Amino acid sequence: MLDSDNDSMSQSGKGSARTKAMPSLQSLSAEAESIKGADRRGFLKGLLAMTGAVATGQAAGATSATNLPPQVPSWTKSLGRGVVSKPYGAPSVYEKDVIRRTVPWLTAESISSISMSPLHELKGLITPNGLVFERYHAGVPEIDPEQHRLIIHGLVERPLIFTMEELQRFPSVSEIKFIECPANGGMEWKGPQMEGLQFTHGMLSCCEWTGVRLSTLLAEVGVKPEGKWVLAEGADGAAMARSIPIEKALDDTLVVYAQNGEALRPEQGYPVRLLNPGWEGNTSVKWLRRLEIGDKPWHMREETSKYTDLMADGRARKFTFVQECNSVITSPCPEKPWKNAGWYEIEGLAWSGRGTIKAVDISFDGGVNWVNAPLKGMVTSKSLTRFGYRFKWPGGPLLLQSRAVDETGYVQPTLRQLREQRGVNSIYHKNAIHTWRVEADGSVRNVQIP
Amino acid sequence: MSRFPDFIRLKRLLAVASLAAITTLMGCGEKLSSTEQKQSAPNVEKSAEHAKQERYDIGQAATKEQIAGWDIDVRPDGMGLPEGEGSVEDGEMLYEDKCASCHGTFGEGEGRWPKLAGGVGTLSQERPDKTVGSYWPYASTLWDYIRRAMPFPAPQSLAVDEVYAITAYVLNLNDLVDDDFVLSRDNFSTIEMPNKDGFFVDDRPDVKNPRCLSDCIDPATIKIVETIAGITPTAHIKEGGTDARAYSEEEMGSEESGAESAGKNVHDSACKICHGSGVAGAPVTGNSDDWQERIKQDKALIYQHALEGFQGDSGVMPAKGGQAQLDDNAVKAAVDYMLEQSH
Repeated sequence: MLDSDNDSMSQSGKGSARTKAMPSLQSLSAEAESIKGADRRGFLKGLLAMTGAVATGQAAGATSATNLPPQVPSWTKSLGRGVVSKPYGAPSVYEKDVIRRTVPWLTAESISSISMSPLHELKGLITPNGLVFERYHAGVPEIDPEQHRLIIHGLVERPLIFTMEELQRFPSVSEIKFIECPANGGMEWKGPQMEGLQFTHGMLSCCEWTGVRLSTLLAEVGVKPEGKWVLAEGADGAAMARSIPIEKALDDTLVVYAQNGEALRPEQGYPVRLLNPGWEGNTSVKWLRRLEIGDKPWHMREETSKYTDLMADGRARKFTFVQECNSVITSPCPEKPWKNAGWYEIEGLAWSGRGTIKAVDISFDGGVNWVNAPLKGMVTSKSLTRFGYRFKWPGGPLLLQSRAVDETGYVQPTLRQLREQRGVNSIYHKNAIHTWRVEADGSVRNVQIP
Repeated sequence: MSRFPDFIRLKRLLAVASLAAITTLMGCGEKLSSTEQKQSAPNVEKSAEHAKQERYDIGQAATKEQIAGWDIDVRPDGMGLPEGEGSVEDGEMLYEDKCASCHGTFGEGEGRWPKLAGGVGTLSQERPDKTVGSYWPYASTLWDYIRRAMPFPAPQSLAVDEVYAITAYVLNLNDLVDDDFVLSRDNFSTIEMPNKDGFFVDDRPDVKNPRCLSDCIDPATIKIVETIAGITPTAHIKEGGTDARAYSEEEMGSEESGAESAGKNVHDSACKICHGSGVAGAPVTGNSDDWQERIKQDKALIYQHALEGFQGDSGVMPAKGGQAQLDDNAVKAAVDYMLEQSH
């Protein structure tokens, strides 16, 4: 039940303990010289096994100056682990802080809660599977794929039930799409209260998803002309359910069973989930067990009581599906401060649920003046897009901001504009321009310019 | 249509495929001739198997029985409501037993668990109180949600009449039906929620930010609001910061025995809901003060209380914590775990 993070931590602990109890390699090697034949082979075998343990132990140890030039590092003078010593690989023990984190006071229970991706540590566009943010309404079910079924019924010509094997027989597509909780940033409508990027923007991840187009499955069942909405329902203990308009379902919705090249993680809906590109994450129902076609929306709990946006006048927006254009600077950020004056690349992420990112601007003075920041790498619809701006920091304070523009011409708004329109109690869909204050010493603080 | 008989095409494809495999394996510069590439690709494209299909005839017909077992949704127009009824009176007893530990005796909500009643008229105030009565637009949502997901530790465990009864009681807590009301499929449509007209369909984009590039605002008007310090988990970036993994702290230890681990899994999924936070007077796992008196008792009696339920001075322990599906040994393992953690 331990995840890879915990696993690697406990392994390192054991490794260190073993190292202490062991005689030096040199003395063992000397001993080996004096043993002959089968005994010697057995001894050497044992020695090899221990060498692996030593390497692990050293890897977990503190930085030692003896490993720096001109010294030859210990890992250069010893053997490492062999193949399949970790049949499913894990990150270096030195990456133990690159993990999902939550804000424990936010929810009553971890079973119905959320965690955030460490955006400050991620490179490129893809979020590794073990770091994709989590949101559960009733915990992670452990589903046996052999016993999982997807039923499609309602206003259809042929109600069908699919096994996982059958779902994977349909032509597949693989698409890189971001997924974001609409509550991302929602803790800061009234004011800044999170001291790190992971907590201000980490309910956001991006994967290559593989599955079958929902339109393919809907063609298989034959949607009747009066079918206008699709109810998607999960097999978890919340039987999490959302109503999706048929236009979206027939446009780009996917039924996915893989992420980043491997089966979905249990946390992400194993063995199968819906994926509504660009839409608020909870519409991408995980552990998908049922799709019902109807002529009207269902007004489930998660589209009335929750995931509706309360305006200042007491009325609320419903079916606020799209994640509007947003961006944030990921380096520097509170977790990744600068140290000395000199050259840096200011980097960040931009994304839009309405399509492709067209441009990102950066401000150094709190939004008085802006410069264009080039987009880096792949720029594709409803995916994260990375931007970078080379900057020679002279030292001294800055008010750093980024502002993204998407293919519809929509420009990421200021916090003031959003508050004027919506008040401060809407919880969801806060996509305002974010401000980091770089201090004279290079440390970075989360601030707001109201 | 293919210009080649099927077996010739197949042979060509196989030849191309194996050539490609050899090329890859050898890692040498040997390339397929351009004619082979050009001919094989269009043939594959044109083959009937690759044509865009309307239907693939994959999947089985879903039977009425299969659908009925999973089709649990209820719509505001009443679609999906099964035959049945339940009174406010019955609902009160069920609510006390199954709901009050989290949602509070009067629907006021324990800790951070959802509040169910009150809050009418607060939606436009500084601190809006979004409850069933003040916010939810349809009673059907309440019925649907109780059936699909409540009680939180034992979803889809309620009988249809129990769902009607608890729904009736939650409506009663919100002064929407009288004490003697009996809710049924027939009168469901008479329930009108106070905030039914309080919603409108998404009309974003609702703001328009011009893409100004210079002198966009007067620097003198910039005011800065600082972050509230101390409420973010920052142990990983700051000395003395708080932990972002408080939920999973106990998983980090490696001293756990096998039995503890089995019991822990049951505990975390079935017992922790109440015994993690102490709602309804539940002794908190790991808090030895809470457990002192209990540990002195005969273990068989503790097992019995866990399995069959128990009315204590400070609260109620439902039989198996309301998780009737649990094996007796699983419950005992969870008890062992809780005792080990709490002595």
